Amino acid sequence: MTKQNTLREIEKKAYMSYHQDGLLDMVIGLYALSFGLGIVADKILDFSFAAIMPGILIAIVLPIWIQAKRKITMPRIGFVNFGTRGSNKLFAIFLGLMVAGLGVFFVFTLASVQNGRPVWIETVFQYGMIVIGLGSAIIASLFAYTMGLKRLYGYGLLTFVLFASGHFLGVPFEYLLLTIGSVIIASVAALLVQFIRRYPLPKGAQDNVVQ
Amino acid sequence: MSSSDADIQNIDRLIHEPSRLTIMMHLYVVESADFQFLQNQTGMTPGNLSSHLRKLEDAGYVEITKEFVDRTPHTALKLTRKGRDAFKEYRRNVKRFIEKLPE
Repeated sequence: MTKQNTLREIEKKAYMSYHQDGLLDMVIGLYALSFGLGIVADKILDFSFAAIMPGILIAIVLPIWIQAKRKITMPRIGFVNFGTRGSNKLFAIFLGLMVAGLGVFFVFTLASVQNGRPVWIETVFQYGMIVIGLGSAIIASLFAYTMGLKRLYGYGLLTFVLFASGHFLGVPFEYLLLTIGSVIIASVAALLVQFIRRYPLPKGAQDNVVQ
Repeated sequence: MSSSDADIQNIDRLIHEPSRLTIMMHLYVVESADFQFLQNQTGMTPGNLSSHLRKLEDAGYVEITKEFVDRTPHTALKLTRKGRDAFKEYRRNVKRFIEKLPE
């Protein structure tokens, strides 16, 4: 192994150990669950919860994540700041996804306005669940690759399989979201228990101050 | 003195010690970390880690900041600019030396 590879391995190991608590997955799971519940609530109460859900989630889920990181992860494995390198890659992915999303929206709108919904758009809508599943799997894989978190590939695969099955079995979109969110939250519980057992709280002083 | 002899003479002995090299490598890939995180990652004992950190701090390679977070003592560790440059230089010198070694 070259020194360059060794450094990459060390960086990856540090990054993975910081995210092995499953708290990042908790954010993803809560998002999926909340959107699913939002759509169910829309149908029952006739109020557009799904539209205001992103704002509510940012206000609630992110503070929960930050507090959980401070109270559960840091006392057990310590604190690390990865600097801007990792976040630059994630920002590039977010930007790429936003541009791709806008591009798709633009192409769809243009094609619909000019030709009045051509056949290929009808086909995309017809297989919408599979397209969403595939898109989610690709996005999850992009994050998995960039962050080195292999379990995100699993979530991507799960999403694709569920949405593809949902298409053929006629399962409503919101129930698929609720299933995905529940599976992710269940895996978070397992990861968290594993993490707490592996890293019990150190007894006495939590820091060995260099004299 | 041959050129490979000169290369090995240029290798920073402070960094070359295995435990200190491990510390430098782990701090090189992050912006900063605390004592506990570094101890978890390197698998070193607190005493050992503490003594090597002191040597690296004395050389000006590591910046050690002590503070209290939520009433708990917290030691933040960071490679200084000098430390980063020294580590880069160390990598270059080791690479150059190894390349010149016969098969």
